[in-house]
Amino acid sequence: MFNKVLIANRGEIAIRIIRACRELGIQTVAVYSEADRQALHVRYADEAFLLGPAPARDSYLRADKLIAIAKKCDAGAVHPGYGFLAERADFAQACLDEGLAFIGPKPSSIAAMGDKEVARAMVASSGVAVVPGTEGEGSLNDDDLLALAPGIGFPLLVKATAGGGGKGIREVKILDEMPALLHAARREAQASFGDGGVYLEKLVEGARHIEFQILADTHGNVIHLGERECSIQRRHQKLLEESPSPFIGLDDEFRQHMGAVAVRAARAVDYVNAGTIEFLVDKEKNFFFLEMNTRLQVEHPITEMVTGVDIVKEQIRITRGRQIRHTQDEIIFNGWSIECRINAEDPFNDFLPSTGRISHLILPTGPGVRVDTGVYLGFEISAYYDSLISKVIVGGETRGEAVLRMRRALEEYKIVGVRTNIPFHQHLMNSHRFMAAQYDTRFVEERFSMIGADESKEDLSEIAAILATLVTHQQTQRAAQFIQRGERDTSNWKWVSRWERMHR
Amino acid sequence: MRYITTIDDREFLIEILDKNHVSVDGVTYQVDYESISEQPAHSLLVDGRSYEANVFQSEKGWEVLLHGMLYLLQVEDEREKRLRAGMGGGPSPTGEYHLRSPMPGLVVSIPVDEGQRVSQGDVLLILESMKMQNELISPRDGTVTRLRVKPGDNVEKKETLLTVS
Repeated sequence: MFNKVLIANRGEIAIRIIRACRELGIQTVAVYSEADRQALHVRYADEAFLLGPAPARDSYLRADKLIAIAKKCDAGAVHPGYGFLAERADFAQACLDEGLAFIGPKPSSIAAMGDKEVARAMVASSGVAVVPGTEGEGSLNDDDLLALAPGIGFPLLVKATAGGGGKGIREVKILDEMPALLHAARREAQASFGDGGVYLEKLVEGARHIEFQILADTHGNVIHLGERECSIQRRHQKLLEESPSPFIGLDDEFRQHMGAVAVRAARAVDYVNAGTIEFLVDKEKNFFFLEMNTRLQVEHPITEMVTGVDIVKEQIRITRGRQIRHTQDEIIFNGWSIECRINAEDPFNDFLPSTGRISHLILPTGPGVRVDTGVYLGFEISAYYDSLISKVIVGGETRGEAVLRMRRALEEYKIVGVRTNIPFHQHLMNSHRFMAAQYDTRFVEERFSMIGADESKEDLSEIAAILATLVTHQQTQRAAQFIQRGERDTSNWKWVSRWERMHR
Repeated sequence: MRYITTIDDREFLIEILDKNHVSVDGVTYQVDYESISEQPAHSLLVDGRSYEANVFQSEKGWEVLLHGMLYLLQVEDEREKRLRAGMGGGPSPTGEYHLRSPMPGLVVSIPVDEGQRVSQGDVLLILESMKMQNELISPRDGTVTRLRVKPGDNVEKKETLLTVS
């Protein structure tokens, strides 16, 4: 049994895993790129080793180096986190071949679920419905896809076979625009995954994205920890999740039915460890299997909030050969939880990524608030890795309390030096449609605006005007004093001209 | 000192009376204003009500992020305002537009060529940063006069990428 874990990741998820290890009395080994020497995970871990230059392919994606470091420092296990190598069967296999435990599923399950065509075929054969499409028909060329498209019906989605994280996805409304969109999707898929394969899938309209958290041990026990509602997305990237789903709400029969189907899907691939089954649910409560994520999810904390189960610690116990600590009957859902993903993106400028050094930071805290983050005051947000800087998770007795608590937490959150999407979440928390839980996966892109017209928000224009004027006034006063002093080595006229040239 | 502060079409006439008093359109308020730790974070008390906001200076003017709303403001003192009125309006929409990189990243593709006519809203360049592809668009009609980068180039923040004139 292992007593030291290498965490093959960075950022908030590396911190999350270190915390679980600490609580279990397990030693931790961090790895880092040249850009991350000062990152929090390096400072929190018991040991830390350099992987290589900043780009992920030279550092966090170097399976050979990760395994060599694990062996050198005598770590008995590797936790991959999410992203990077988390869903690479060859990496999991390489760990096992070197005698390292892999804190995740078996390589064969990762391979089966990672190839979406195989996944759909396996899940469909166990009697779980899948969305109509060309997955499972092998790699088709453009002519074949164009011929098959009308049979599936429009609108449809072109998706990358090796995809994930919203990359290589295009929506097609009519056949005429399909060739160009196919080309774009293939280009993006090739760039992101090194595989230009794509498939078609019917677009389920008014769809909600609801997923079930699964835990499975090596003793044949498989349970679910309820659902997460993940329909608040932009460009197929999740922005906010809540548990339970307001769409399922009090319909516990439907919840247990979906949960049982999720458990069956996990059993179909002989699954072990934590995993997530994603479903698309239409207005009539028909649901279709979307995919299985064979790893820890970004949004796992909301499930921890409502069930009280520490999913990461459970992952480690399962890998150590223990049984899951709870039976399905013992899993009770308490209250409501919401997570907002705080990204370094400017919501007032088309969500363009923002980089910079954090020069001022106050994190929300207080009752019912949890913040998972890997950044701190003075940390530099670089362009090398994804833009997630923290997750704000709140819990409340009811959905109403959770929403109000999240509003309070977001207002407390102060960050300067990098633009974030906190204002987006604040607008969302004030949106009547969100409060009434009237949203689907298209809501953010089609029916939500940062310039909220229907929102009854207090107009603070006058306060903003006073503030901007006071800042301007102070600046002018300072500048005037500065120039009057005449302590400069050159005349003020020369200095002003130099200053102007510099700022041209 | 008297200032004219504009948000969209609304004008406020703001007079700084002394350190703790301002008048807005003739109404006097007691204010207390502090900038926090030399940061763009500001605390403002107006007749006892407490507000906190981030204030940034941008090319477009002042940006005030307050309670999740971003306010874009122009602040001019009276003399500036009169001068500008005398000159007959603001800068004209002609002249060169330099597309600068809003962040460090990798140039993925440039769908335009030198000499090509472009319209407002056309995609000029696709830049990858933080694993996302971002389309940089033209703010106005014009002709692409100069490409300074090519696909595959790594660019720094604020680096000039191309020129539209």
